[in-house]
Amino acid sequence: MRFDLSWLDEQLVDAPPADVVAERLTACGFNVELREPDAATEVWDVEVTTNRPDAMNHRGLAREAAVATGTLLKPIENGPSEEGEQAANLVSVEIEVPELCSRYVARVVRNARLVESPAWLAERLERCGVRPLNAIVDATNYVLLELGQPLHAFDLARVAGRRIVVRRAREGETLTTLDGERRDLDPSLLVIADAERPVALAGIMGGADSEIGDETVDVLLESAHFDALTVRRGARKLGMHTEASHRFERGADPEMATTAVDVAAAMIARLAGGTVCRGRVDIYPKPWRPRTLEVSMPRLSAFTGLEIDPAEAHRILDGLGFEPSLDADRVRCTVPSFRVDVERAEDLYEEVIRHVGYDAVPSQLPVLATDPGRRCGSWPLVDRARDAAVSVGLTEVVTYAFSSAEEDEAAARLPLIAGGSLPLANPLTQTQTAMRRSLLPGLLTAARANLNQGETSLALFEEGRVFGADGQAPVEKEHLAIVLAGSFGNWQDRATTSFTDLKGLVDGLIERLAFPAVSWVRDRDSWLEDAEGAVLTAAGGEVVGVAGLVSRTAAKWWDLRQPVYVAELDLSAAMDRSERPRFTELPRFPAITADMTVEHRAELAYGELLRTATELASPLVVSWELVARYSGEGLDPDMVRTTLRAVYRHPERSLLQEEVNAEQEALRSRLAAALDVRFA
Amino acid sequence: MTLERLEEARRAFLSDLEQAGGDAGAVEEVRIRYAGRRSGMLQELTAVLKTLPNEEKRDYGRELNDLKKLIEEKLKEASGGASAGTAGRRRAAIDVTLPGRRPRRGAQHPVHLVRRRIEAIFLSMGYSVEDGPEIEDDWHNFEALNIPPDHPARDDQDTFYFTDGHVLRTHTSPVQARVMERQQPPIRIIVPGRVYRRDSDLRHSPMFHQIEGLLVDEGITFGHLKATLETFLHQLFVGVDIRFRPSYFPFTEPSAEVDISCIFCNGSGCGVCSRSGWIEILGSGMVDPRVFERVGVDPERYTGFAFGLGIDRVAMLLYGIPDLRLMFSGDQRLTRQFA
Ligand SMILES: [Zn+2]
Repeated sequence: MRFDLSWLDEQLVDAPPADVVAERLTACGFNVELREPDAATEVWDVEVTTNRPDAMNHRGLAREAAVATGTLLKPIENGPSEEGEQAANLVSVEIEVPELCSRYVARVVRNARLVESPAWLAERLERCGVRPLNAIVDATNYVLLELGQPLHAFDLARVAGRRIVVRRAREGETLTTLDGERRDLDPSLLVIADAERPVALAGIMGGADSEIGDETVDVLLESAHFDALTVRRGARKLGMHTEASHRFERGADPEMATTAVDVAAAMIARLAGGTVCRGRVDIYPKPWRPRTLEVSMPRLSAFTGLEIDPAEAHRILDGLGFEPSLDADRVRCTVPSFRVDVERAEDLYEEVIRHVGYDAVPSQLPVLATDPGRRCGSWPLVDRARDAAVSVGLTEVVTYAFSSAEEDEAAARLPLIAGGSLPLANPLTQTQTAMRRSLLPGLLTAARANLNQGETSLALFEEGRVFGADGQAPVEKEHLAIVLAGSFGNWQDRATTSFTDLKGLVDGLIERLAFPAVSWVRDRDSWLEDAEGAVLTAAGGEVVGVAGLVSRTAAKWWDLRQPVYVAELDLSAAMDRSERPRFTELPRFPAITADMTVEHRAELAYGELLRTATELASPLVVSWELVARYSGEGLDPDMVRTTLRAVYRHPERSLLQEEVNAEQEALRSRLAAALDVRFA
Repeated sequence: MTLERLEEARRAFLSDLEQAGGDAGAVEEVRIRYAGRRSGMLQELTAVLKTLPNEEKRDYGRELNDLKKLIEEKLKEASGGASAGTAGRRRAAIDVTLPGRRPRRGAQHPVHLVRRRIEAIFLSMGYSVEDGPEIEDDWHNFEALNIPPDHPARDDQDTFYFTDGHVLRTHTSPVQARVMERQQPPIRIIVPGRVYRRDSDLRHSPMFHQIEGLLVDEGITFGHLKATLETFLHQLFVGVDIRFRPSYFPFTEPSAEVDISCIFCNGSGCGVCSRSGWIEILGSGMVDPRVFERVGVDPERYTGFAFGLGIDRVAMLLYGIPDLRLMFSGDQRLTRQFA
């Protein structure tokens, strides 16, 4: 919020140097963020937090400055010289809804002229970001910026029946506000009406019809107190935000209404001529009642971690208007009408501590008896996944957790998604309308951007949550996805990414993540190429992953101009790794290896062949290795030769070559019986 | 048929070796091409053996063996001559400045690097790392934290909503409330995670990362808050000055904004710190007793403090990354710098 330094200084008895004021204000909670020299003074941009509407004006901020710098606040000079008629004879006020308007004060200034404000006033308004209009309106804005009370000036002649009614708007009523907008009203909105129709939106903006203009002779000044929530909801509904609504929403001071209207009336009479009529109309159905609070000095000191001198606490609370009285180790306070934020004793701790100064509080580490810190929830898992991905050479990216409507629709065809679509009710952009159900859309977008950037090797991963709807409840799942594209290696051996690379990476990851046994099954109906796509399933058949080459259709959709391999894993399939590993006795006897070349149809998957061989082989086979695959010359086109190497080992003695030969021979015949295979 | 391949290989080998002359590097290349253990031609030819029908195996095997012997002998001759320096043939030295073969190195995103660094500092101070949902209910994201409907603070945190009333959490603070609801003090936790606000420009992103901290016990003071955050910040940003400024958050009272002296200008004022010499780094405060009441912790018995900071912002400051949106662009050139 913008403040005029000369205006601030004017409120203080012996204003300290600007540097001191700025530093102390910052230290007590009003951060002076920017200081700009302006003519003979400075314009300050001060951060006033939303709980402190009382300091959103020069007098309120000066009160803080006075306490912070040890000076005093000057009294307000008011009291216009009144003459002529009683205001009460010129205007009547009725509040239909006292729960929404606790006070309405009116004054009348007669025979005012429409003149421009003097330069000093116009400049002050401009420094605070308010456009000067004419002396009458400017005076109301000046008082708002000085005392914090929003005021409104009506052309009395245009207030039908010279009657003010504070009421809810009626269905079908309209009002053209000062900004020229015609607004449709309804009963949720509080209005100021005359005898016939609404003339202002209470606490937000006046109406154009009763605006001060060239013909204005008599001015009706409004100084009221409106319910914060009503103003807030009304302003929101109409999409409006004004200096007045900003303050009423946060809580204005009902006791300031009379002072403010007096100061404004005197100012108008001084600047625009005219006379201030006798008396005010003051309807105050729910007068403000002071509340008292008691601060225990020992509790305050204990809470702070600093012994606070009661006299100092007294000085601070006195300067802030809490009328403190010291009674042994307690301070009894009365909450002033402008401090809407102070409700209980703890709220007063803050008042004292921030003026004692946070710097004065000694830093001391707490000594606590709690268990040692540990990682909970999904943190151990997701970081294990992250480390595994980095260890196999993948580069992490972080993308937005949103999807566009098209991406979200396309995701429905993926075999691995978190659940039903989960659209946002109020998206920010068209590209981010729903929560992502899969990491792949974001990752493919990233892949495209990187490739378009001219990157020739991509090995990316993202770890993050995906979302979905499961009936009523939203679901969150941790996924890990990878994308591979381009070529890898060095000048001696560069190779283009293939399915084998992807599979090796994924198998490496699921091994490190301790997935349960996973089967790779051909996937035929998603974003992946028929010939090079797979879903990963767990023992129960549930899909825990997907991997393969992005299909031509999908690649076109994503505008990918080269082969891109992707995989995504559901990390919830990973098992807890807290179980400690067990040492296995190292083998004491040598192994014997034996190769076997199997000729079979291409449809017989390697996985199936290996599984069958493993099942049928002697228990002495401790491991298998794929040595060679051959197809082509010398073979039917749909036939393949697979050379498997079995490693035989006996735990308690050396094996003989003859034993192994016999086992291999037996295995060959068992395989031939079980599968459609021949042996070369 | 297959025997012809062996003959072809023999001819090609002899001609290549001839061409290599006495150059050790060239001889080595020939060796790799024919006898290399990874992908030499002999490997390939040997693999073929196993796929042959038995009747062809014997002949092929014999020829293959001969070829192996020939290649070994000739290579030995060529390289031996080169290394011995006899007969005027010197083994040409390998150009050791040529790049070697490196395994591919992965890299972690700077946000997670910084997150884990921060976690390590707090784990060493006995804090646990907690977790919670990103799609929250209104109670935990707002009401439990003393932000009732229509509270002006809701304006500062533009919120993404779902049609059923759930929200994308606007801060990691709801996890505070969740932990206090299920566990009585002492509580000492930090909560890293993604948060969302409906806002996007140079300094704001609709998604970013925060770390929240909470300590609740008997006798916790504002001095404890100061010391804890000073210790933490001094470990994260070595050699900075720290200042605590009163501020306002609905869920703490008193509240403090914590600044560090600008790490770019050492506090003398620059563009990054808006000439102030200070950089706002975290928000903190003593837990408001209203929050304790809402989540079922006795405010008469316990006090505590809470704090929160933006991880992305810390990463930007620590590593000098200028634009928040770059963090979520998916550009690998960013992460590769942290490999
Ligand atoms: Zn700086």
